Amino acid sequence: MKIILDHVMPDPLASMTHSDDSIWGNFVELEHGKKIVLNASSGKGKSTFTTSVCGIRNDYTGKILYDGQDLKSYSPEDWAEIRQKKVSVVFQDLQLFPKLTVEENLLLKNSLTNTYSASDIKQMLDHLGIADKWGQQAGLLSMGQQQRVAIIRALVQPYSWLIMDEPFSHLDKENTRLCLELIDKRTTEQGAGFVLTTLGDYHDFNYDQELKL
Amino acid sequence: MLNRLLFKNQDRKQLIIAMVGSFLGITFLVTSIHFLIKVNDFGKGAEILGPNTIIVQKKVSMFGMSSTTFSDSEIEKIRSEKFIIDVKPITSNNFDISFQTDDPEVPYFRSDLFIQTIDTGFIDVEASNWDWKEGDTIVPIIMPRDFIVMMNTFMSAQGIPQVSDELAKQINFKFTLSDEKNKEWVDARIVGFTNQVSALLVPNSFMEYGNTKYGKGEEKKVTQIIISGKESEFGKVETLLKNKGLESKNAQMVVGRLKSIIGTLFFVVLAISIIAVFVSGLVLIQYLQLLMSRNAYEVRTLLRIGYPPKQIIGKFFKYFTRIFGIVCLIGIGMFIPLKLMIDDIFVSGGIYIDLGFTFESIGALLLAFLLFILSSFLTAKKGIYKEY
Repeated sequence: MKIILDHVMPDPLASMTHSDDSIWGNFVELEHGKKIVLNASSGKGKSTFTTSVCGIRNDYTGKILYDGQDLKSYSPEDWAEIRQKKVSVVFQDLQLFPKLTVEENLLLKNSLTNTYSASDIKQMLDHLGIADKWGQQAGLLSMGQQQRVAIIRALVQPYSWLIMDEPFSHLDKENTRLCLELIDKRTTEQGAGFVLTTLGDYHDFNYDQELKL
Repeated sequence: MLNRLLFKNQDRKQLIIAMVGSFLGITFLVTSIHFLIKVNDFGKGAEILGPNTIIVQKKVSMFGMSSTTFSDSEIEKIRSEKFIIDVKPITSNNFDISFQTDDPEVPYFRSDLFIQTIDTGFIDVEASNWDWKEGDTIVPIIMPRDFIVMMNTFMSAQGIPQVSDELAKQINFKFTLSDEKNKEWVDARIVGFTNQVSALLVPNSFMEYGNTKYGKGEEKKVTQIIISGKESEFGKVETLLKNKGLESKNAQMVVGRLKSIIGTLFFVVLAISIIAVFVSGLVLIQYLQLLMSRNAYEVRTLLRIGYPPKQIIGKFFKYFTRIFGIVCLIGIGMFIPLKLMIDDIFVSGGIYIDLGFTFESIGALLLAFLLFILSSFLTAKKGIYKEY
C-alpha cells in the first residue's frame, strides 16, 4: 500500500516556517515495503504526522492518500478494517489499558484477527525480556516495559505499514536493538514497511528512506 | 475481556439506585394499567344492557291515582330530547307462562312468572344466540340476576352446591305456555344475565308467538320503557327522569359512579407510574452516558487499535438491555404478588373483578422495554461515534 502526502499542512503548524525538504507542504510518497525514519526535534510535528497518517486527526490542508484514496473519505467502519489489517501504530503515549494485564492487553488486540497464538505472543515477550510480566497489570509496569508491550501489541496483527511514534524513548540501547530486530523481522516477513519517528537517534539501523520535518 | 474493560470499574451504587427506581416505576405501571382495565371491565359481559341504558317506569303516587302506563306521545316526547339516543317500549306477556328447571343435575323448581321483550338494539348478545322462530326447540333467555340469587338460596337450603353464571348457562329449563284449552312446553337456555330488568327476557318472536297463540285478548299496556342516553350527558337523563316523575333501579348508576372513582384513582397512579418510568429510564440513560464518559479513554483506544464502532456500541447496548430486562423481570415478579394482594382486597370488599392477567399491562411493559433499549442504543451510538 502506497501512502502519499499531497501538500499536507497541519493547521497547528501552518504559521511555522518549514524547510524545503520538509514533508509539510510538499508532495511525499511512502513506497510500499520501505523502512523509513522520520528524524526531527521536538515540536516539529512528529506526533501530528503519526496521528494524521493513521486517520486519528484530520485538521490539515492537502491530502493524505492510501493507494490513491483520500483518508478523509473513509468511514469509521473502514478505519476499523484498516487498523485491523493494514496500518498498525505504536503511540507515543502507548495507549495501553492500565487496569488490564499484559496478557489481556495483547489478547484483546490479537483477538481481532487471531494472528498469533498466546504462546507465540509469550515468545515475543520473552524475546524482549518481559515474559514474566504476562499476568501483571500493565499500569504497574515501568515505562520501558510498557513500551515493549505496546510494540508487541502493534505487531500482533497483519499490516502493510507500521507507524511508530518515538517507540524507544524509554528503552536502553540493548532493548532498543532487540525491539528493532523483532520489528524488522516481523515487517520483512509480511513484505510491509514502517515509519519510525525519532528525536535524532537512528538506533544503528539501515533505513531505506529518511523524512524531514 | 471487553466486558471487563468497559464495565468492571463502575459505581455500582449509582446503578443499583437507578435500577430500583426503574423497577418501582415498572411495577406501578404494570399494576395500574392492569387494574385500570379490570375496573373498567367490571360488570362488562355480566350486564347484557349497554352502560348508559336504563329501564324506567312511572312512580306510583301516594294515592295511586295517576296512570302508570306510557302513551305513544309520551314516548315520542322523550325520544325527541337531544341527549337521548333511543327509547323503546318494553313488551310484556299477555298469556299464562310458568318456568321450571328441567335438568336431572338440579332440583325441581317451578314458578309462574312474567316475561318481557326488549328491542334487540339494546341487548349486547350475539344475534345468532338471540333468535327464535316457531318450531325451534330452545328459547334463548336473559335471566335477571336476582333470579339466580333466589335459585342459589333455594339450592343452598336444599344442601345442593350453588351455581355460577357459567354453570347456570348449562342448565336446561322449560317454559309452560297455556290458556284455558291448550298447553305447550318449550325448552329454554340462559344466554346472559341482567341486573336491570326484573323480568325474564325472551326474543320478540317468542313473545309474539305466545301473545298470538295463548293471548288473553285485551291490549297489553306499556308500563316500562328502555332509554339509552349519551354517555357525556347522562346527568341530563337523570334530570329528565326526575322532572317527569319516572324512576329506575339505581344500582347500575351506583356501580358506574364507583367504577368512575376507582378508575380515576388508578388513572392517577398510572400517570405517576408513567412519570416514574420515564424519570428512572432517564436516570439509567444518564448512567449509561456517565459510564461512557468514564470509559472515554478505553473506547477511544479500542477504536484506535481497530475495534469496529458497532461492536463497542453492541457491548453497551447488550449490557443495558440486560439491566433493563432484569428490571422488567423483577417488576413482573413484584406485580404478581401485588396483583394477588389487590385482588384479595377487592374480593374481601365484595367486588368480584376478573382475576386474569391483562395483555395491555404486559404490552405496556414491552413498550417501555423497547423504548428504553432504543434510547440506550441511540445514546451508545452517539457516545461511541463522538470518540472518533
